[in-house]
Amino acid sequence: MYRCIRTFFDGRDYTEVDTPILCTSLIPESTIENFATRFQNPFLPSTELYLVPSPEIFMKQLIAQGWGSIYQISHCFRNSEQLGHIHNPEFSMLEYYTVGADEQDSITITEALFASLLTDDSAEYLRPPFARLTVEEAMKTYAGVDLDKHQKQSSLVSEARRLGLSVPDEPESWEETFNRIFLTFVEPNLPQDRPLVLQRYPKQIECLAKQEGAYRRRWELYVKGVEVANCYDEDRNLQTIQTYYRDEYARLVQKRQESGSVIPDIDPQLAFIFSTMPACSGVAMGLDRLQMLLMGKTDLQGVILFPLSGMLKGGNTRNL
Amino acid sequence: MIKAGQIDKGTALLIKGQPFVVVDREFVNPGKGSAFVRLKLKSPSTGQTLQETMKSQDNAEDITVVDRDCQYLYNDGENFHLMLTDNFEQIEVPMANFPDYQYLMKDGETYRCTFWEAQLLEIQVPPKVVFLVAEAEEAVKGDTVQGATKYITTETGLKVRVPIFIKQGEKIRVNTETKEYLERVNN
Repeated sequence: MYRCIRTFFDGRDYTEVDTPILCTSLIPESTIENFATRFQNPFLPSTELYLVPSPEIFMKQLIAQGWGSIYQISHCFRNSEQLGHIHNPEFSMLEYYTVGADEQDSITITEALFASLLTDDSAEYLRPPFARLTVEEAMKTYAGVDLDKHQKQSSLVSEARRLGLSVPDEPESWEETFNRIFLTFVEPNLPQDRPLVLQRYPKQIECLAKQEGAYRRRWELYVKGVEVANCYDEDRNLQTIQTYYRDEYARLVQKRQESGSVIPDIDPQLAFIFSTMPACSGVAMGLDRLQMLLMGKTDLQGVILFPLSGMLKGGNTRNL
Repeated sequence: MIKAGQIDKGTALLIKGQPFVVVDREFVNPGKGSAFVRLKLKSPSTGQTLQETMKSQDNAEDITVVDRDCQYLYNDGENFHLMLTDNFEQIEVPMANFPDYQYLMKDGETYRCTFWEAQLLEIQVPPKVVFLVAEAEEAVKGDTVQGATKYITTETGLKVRVPIFIKQGEKIRVNTETKEYLERVNN
């Protein structure tokens, strides 16, 4: 699979890059917990270092420097996640940025990538063309909720309660209420006969994908109900990026102070550098999950050769 | 109170005043957004299933349940009459809460029962039970339209589809969940 992926991108004039896994600062992402470690040197002050949750921070700098379209296969790290059949804190990620493309072009590129990975024997649920569904349509079909009519948090909460969910009285964001409905009624019922691109996410879910009306130009790819990739049409407006990073960092600090977990350093230059990127669309794809699906499995056991759950149970020699 | 993130399979929760047991739980991190716990719950008394998604920081009301042995005495058509074997106290529970249990429980038999305070949540009928064939129609020679099976009635009144060689007075093992015949039991 790895060889096929490299052949695919090399044949399309992408440059393969290899950026650091260990770094001194991160992009502020309040929902991703990090792994931290300490750099020690007798001649330098001791510094906290982080394992990257994705190579985005470096790859976007290369795009801004004019490298053109690039791709990378690297290990990424996310703390505090479940050790489960489709989760491991260390995982393999394919990230590709296509200069001059938007998120619709990225769907076409990803369909071609899938086609290059499949054989005649591959299951139907892996085959392009991908089915396409907007979040708005999915919420209507599977939860009976018309998002256009429930743009206010209070009215969305009423919908959640009407559907039988117990939403506490404490204040919460529109996004959190949306997720309660989406995760209970929509995500488990999405069609699985073909790969599915779920696109146009509500604007209330803040991120750096370009906004268009009440929605944002991003998508997630589900294969057999498993979330495999996500994609943005990257927002390059300096003001938007700065505001987003400032708010996201405030949320991050508040959450981490409550939980006592690592608060990473943020480089104040990042927003400026990212605003100088040419128009581009980036896709991040979980390769362990993709490998699992290509092998016809439903569990990462036997795909990730030494899963952390096994090491925690029996030491790192007893996993095979 | 328990944080949703600490809920595990088997945890008993009070949801809108009704007791439920968690049969499945999964952590989900949407692409963007805080961590959620997706729960599948089952009401032990009515069998009703429920799906809930909670933020891992949400509070849920957990309840303590205890298992006690009860002897099944009889039913009067509306209620089951049971006796707690540890203090000989007799209790009545509506048969409607435990549909078809009258066909699965045997008079005088002791069952493990799950209680939340005074409320009986579950009567734990074993997954496989041996029943006596109380009534069986004679197999008609050459009648293979039914795929060589016939219906019998057990001593508890349960109707089970069995192979034609099963006779009245014999014992059979039955899956109590699907109410299907498993095998003939030799004395």
